[in-house]
Amino acid sequence: MSLALKLLTGILIFSFPFQVFGWDWQTRVTVVVKDQPLEAVCGLLEKEYGIHFSYSRELVNLSRKVTLTAHQQRLKKLLDELFSPDDIRFTRVGDQIILSPAQRSSRTISGYIKDAVSGESLIGATVYSPALKQGTTANQYGFYSLTTVKDTNSLLISYIGYKPYLQKVTAKGNQMINVHLQPLGSLKEVVISAKEGSKLQEQTQMSRVNLSTSDLQAMPRLLGEVDVMRALQSLPGVSGGPDGAGGLYVRGGGPDQNLVLIDGTPVFNFSHFFGVYSMLNANVVKTTDLYKGAFPARFGGRISSVVDIAMKEGDMKAFHGDASLGFIAAKFNIEGPIVKDKTSFMFSARRSYPDLLINAALQAEKTLGDDGDFKAFFFDVNAKVNHIFSPKDRLFLSFYKGEDNLLLKQTTDDTSRIINSSKYIGESLRFRLGWGNTIGAIRWNHIYSPKLFSNVTLNYSQYEFFTEIEHKYKLAASGEKSDVYGRYNSVMENNGGRIDFDYRPDPRHSVRFGAITTVHKFKPGYSTFEDRDSHVIPLDTIDASMKVTGYELSLYAEDDWQIRPDFFANIGMHASAFLVEGRFYYSLQPRLGLRYLLPRNWAVKAAFTHMTQYIHLLSGDGATLPTDIWVPSTQHVAPMFSRQLAAGIAKTTANLKYEFSLEGYFKSMHNVIETRETNGIITPATTRWDENVTVGKGWSYGAELMMQKKKGSTTGWVGYTLAWSTRRFPDVNNGEIYPYKFDHRHDIELVLVQQLGKQWELSASWHFNSGTPFTLPVSTYAATEGASPWEPGTGNTSIDRFDNRNNYRGSAVHRLDVGVTWSKQKKHWTRSWNLSVFNAYNRKNPYFYFISGDAAGQKRYLSKVSILPILPSITYSVKF
Amino acid sequence: MKYFFVGAIGLSMLLSACEKREEIKLPYEGDKIVVNTLIQPDSVIYIRVTRSVPSNVYNDAGYNDIPGATVTLTANEASVLPLQVQTIKGLSYYVSSQKAILGQQYKVAVSAAGLQAVTGTDTLPPAPLVSKPGAQRGSSRVQFTLQDLPASADYYRIRIYMTDAATGLGAFLLFRLDPAFNNNMVEYFSKGNYNSLIMNDERFNGKPVNFVLQTADPIMNAGEITVEVSALTNNTYRYFSTLAAQRDAGTTLGSHVRVFTNVTNGYGIVGGINTRKMIVKIP
Repeated sequence: MSLALKLLTGILIFSFPFQVFGWDWQTRVTVVVKDQPLEAVCGLLEKEYGIHFSYSRELVNLSRKVTLTAHQQRLKKLLDELFSPDDIRFTRVGDQIILSPAQRSSRTISGYIKDAVSGESLIGATVYSPALKQGTTANQYGFYSLTTVKDTNSLLISYIGYKPYLQKVTAKGNQMINVHLQPLGSLKEVVISAKEGSKLQEQTQMSRVNLSTSDLQAMPRLLGEVDVMRALQSLPGVSGGPDGAGGLYVRGGGPDQNLVLIDGTPVFNFSHFFGVYSMLNANVVKTTDLYKGAFPARFGGRISSVVDIAMKEGDMKAFHGDASLGFIAAKFNIEGPIVKDKTSFMFSARRSYPDLLINAALQAEKTLGDDGDFKAFFFDVNAKVNHIFSPKDRLFLSFYKGEDNLLLKQTTDDTSRIINSSKYIGESLRFRLGWGNTIGAIRWNHIYSPKLFSNVTLNYSQYEFFTEIEHKYKLAASGEKSDVYGRYNSVMENNGGRIDFDYRPDPRHSVRFGAITTVHKFKPGYSTFEDRDSHVIPLDTIDASMKVTGYELSLYAEDDWQIRPDFFANIGMHASAFLVEGRFYYSLQPRLGLRYLLPRNWAVKAAFTHMTQYIHLLSGDGATLPTDIWVPSTQHVAPMFSRQLAAGIAKTTANLKYEFSLEGYFKSMHNVIETRETNGIITPATTRWDENVTVGKGWSYGAELMMQKKKGSTTGWVGYTLAWSTRRFPDVNNGEIYPYKFDHRHDIELVLVQQLGKQWELSASWHFNSGTPFTLPVSTYAATEGASPWEPGTGNTSIDRFDNRNNYRGSAVHRLDVGVTWSKQKKHWTRSWNLSVFNAYNRKNPYFYFISGDAAGQKRYLSKVSILPILPSITYSVKF
Repeated sequence: MKYFFVGAIGLSMLLSACEKREEIKLPYEGDKIVVNTLIQPDSVIYIRVTRSVPSNVYNDAGYNDIPGATVTLTANEASVLPLQVQTIKGLSYYVSSQKAILGQQYKVAVSAAGLQAVTGTDTLPPAPLVSKPGAQRGSSRVQFTLQDLPASADYYRIRIYMTDAATGLGAFLLFRLDPAFNNNMVEYFSKGNYNSLIMNDERFNGKPVNFVLQTADPIMNAGEITVEVSALTNNTYRYFSTLAAQRDAGTTLGSHVRVFTNVTNGYGIVGGINTRKMIVKIP
């Protein structure tokens, strides 16, 4: 070619638009399409940038529709995003891009993720392939399974509180890799920081909040006790009873509508000390998940919430323990290997002790007589053993026993010490009261294949309340004797079995399915009574106590499904049936969760759930009490069910430092029960309980905002709830809708934890909720007692007229709790002091109201009673 | 039993519980006519007519009468019985000139300027079949026999009145069913003593029952004991039982028991009652 021809060719080339020949992988392109097939995107790139695509329609399918907004994005990256979901390979040949099927076979990498120091499973740890941008999370047993292309050569395993670990994957074929993560060196290095590892936008699950041990331990304490239930009450969407006592009220639901699971076993009464403390020693809790809605299909049986608590499994490598002494209770916990890396155990015990001091004082002064005794305490013990039979088989045995007990024994021969000394001779009184849970479970984890994990559980859960009295005396004047003995008890038992499968066929599907069977045994209200020294003929014999057995069977399946790169769904179905006294109930409970990824890593989520509950709690109108009994559905009272719709947005920042979620919800509750208004004078026979309740509906709706800082020396959260909760019963409030007793319009929670150096940790939590509704009389009028005013006992007595239920709101509740912990780490152990101040500014929050009369002022007025003033406490703990 | 636990919570935690007066405006639904009459066969009928007041009004002197109220008493929807206003123990009553007759239905209608007119109707129950009363000094047991009628649902009120031997003054005693007689563990725990026992006959329908009551204090200084057993109509039973429930609940706001009324557009009770009194002299 002559020089002139070369120059001419060059001029011609450069006179063409630059895009025609000038592209390479780094070329920045701009493409904006909405709901167009891949083919159209290729056409656009060809038209705008001269990038030609060559492919066979038989081998490569470009029909998938995409929505894309890419501004000045590198070509390679854009094509990666476009083609990788369909496993389409692209290569440049000249100025063409050749598209071909990837032809890469897959393999599955599975195993357990554990704490390298203790061997504890890490629930929710993230396993991620950076090259393929695919990942998964470990299940509640720490098991993960990731099916991916064969040329994956590394996996990044991460978990908050642990050093991320890059696991090399060299060999081909399926592999089982157990990963041990090193905890980050800090004060909490012996604490398992079991926070969620994955970002909110990467979870289709919504309406769930996770509380880790470190969250729990950092919260300010009430009389020295760290408490799970109180921590849950500081989350948006959750209320407690008056001053936090008496249960959980989640999204306007009742305390009977919460499914509390301890290592998968349901419990009936989750509290000690009339609802002030949880039944569990928080030191043995590994992680707590609260589901307020969007219930996965694997849960069923209650309509308003699921509290899923995982206990520590026991250190597989070394012995550890802790002991602490607070104002209310003393406790210890020990764990360690029985056979290193094969079998471990965990044992903990706790007992409240103020009664020991009170009894000593009473004995010293002989206040209760020579044989007098006084006990008022709660205790709980937890024991757990877990054994690894093989890499594929693991067994857990767990046991819990917790009780509250009250004993008062008063005897005297010295009549000057007894109240009715002028009348009684040789009086003795013995009164006992107690309630508690007994729980046992055997669980067997088995890995059938790298993609299929199973857990089989056999469990037993019992709740018993009893009270017993013995009263002896002799009347001095007549010699009349009384020797009364009575006992009342109420038992609720569950014998259950369940099998759960976790199947991960490929990264786009995470399938769980299983079956749950429960035998419910109800024995409420069994009583015996006799007066051994009386010849009085009883009015009637005691009714045989109700003993009913109910059988519940549930089947469920759910799939966490990546439908498109930016669209995910959790689709599930929970089907259950309940057979009791010849009656058969069943329900199909669809569960649906959706997640759509927005720009800037926001996710918009929505969920619909249907939940059914076959058992009811008979409770008074006030606080939840140990005497409350569970009964099955009857012909008059059908099973409860709820439908909940939730929608919201969520995001975790890239550095996992901040989390933000905003959710709205609407929940309807059907066949909820309430005591009839005219009740109250006659103790209802247990067998006819359904005649004394009215069946109605409830609605709750609202919005919850949660902003959380999860990393750094300052952590904590801000939660705000705007909520409405109402009820309607035909026999209450004239059949009109009225506010539920825990209808708090506004609820604000602020929790702040500040780490100061290596030794100091400050914490504060501030709670606010607007007033609780209650019922005030709308007028007062004269009563009458007899037919003739000339008769005695027909004086001026009054009746208060109650009309609309919950027609008044009490004053707002707010309280600041603060705590400071000082820890000193020695070579083999750590000691710490915690000073907590409950209700730091001594706010007089209402516990209940009553109407008083002021004779001098000739006025009746409303009195507010407050119970928990400023309460400082000190706890000393050692850990080794 | 609920109240026992509420109390236990209060006792155990809350030695430092504090009470504070809240200055609020109590809701009020406006004045209404209140009619109270319990009609006893073979006795004249006493009707008290008052008006309701806001619940912050402290009223220890009886409720205000309604001046100019028109009160009509009708028997069997036909004959109007004449009424006369009498002041008894400082309170005004409309008193019939004729005695009530068992088997008749009585209706009371009241109207007054500025207030909604009200009516209330009830029948009268047959007398309770009671006998064999017994009580003795130094004992806390009081007994009697009640023969219940099998064909009907029957309702009763029992009270014990003691007259002091020395002073002649009397008072209703606090009592309960003897625990061995009642044989009810839950009630033994959950209920204290009361000065009137309201009950239906579910536990002893059609049977003769030897009732054994236990007084809160042994009978020491009594000159005589009066065991008062009243048969009640269903209306009166519902009124007394809900009234007792409201008193049992106390003034704590949470129980809000609504007391039964059969006075339409107003409050109170127009109810039948048939009382028998058995007097036991205490030697």
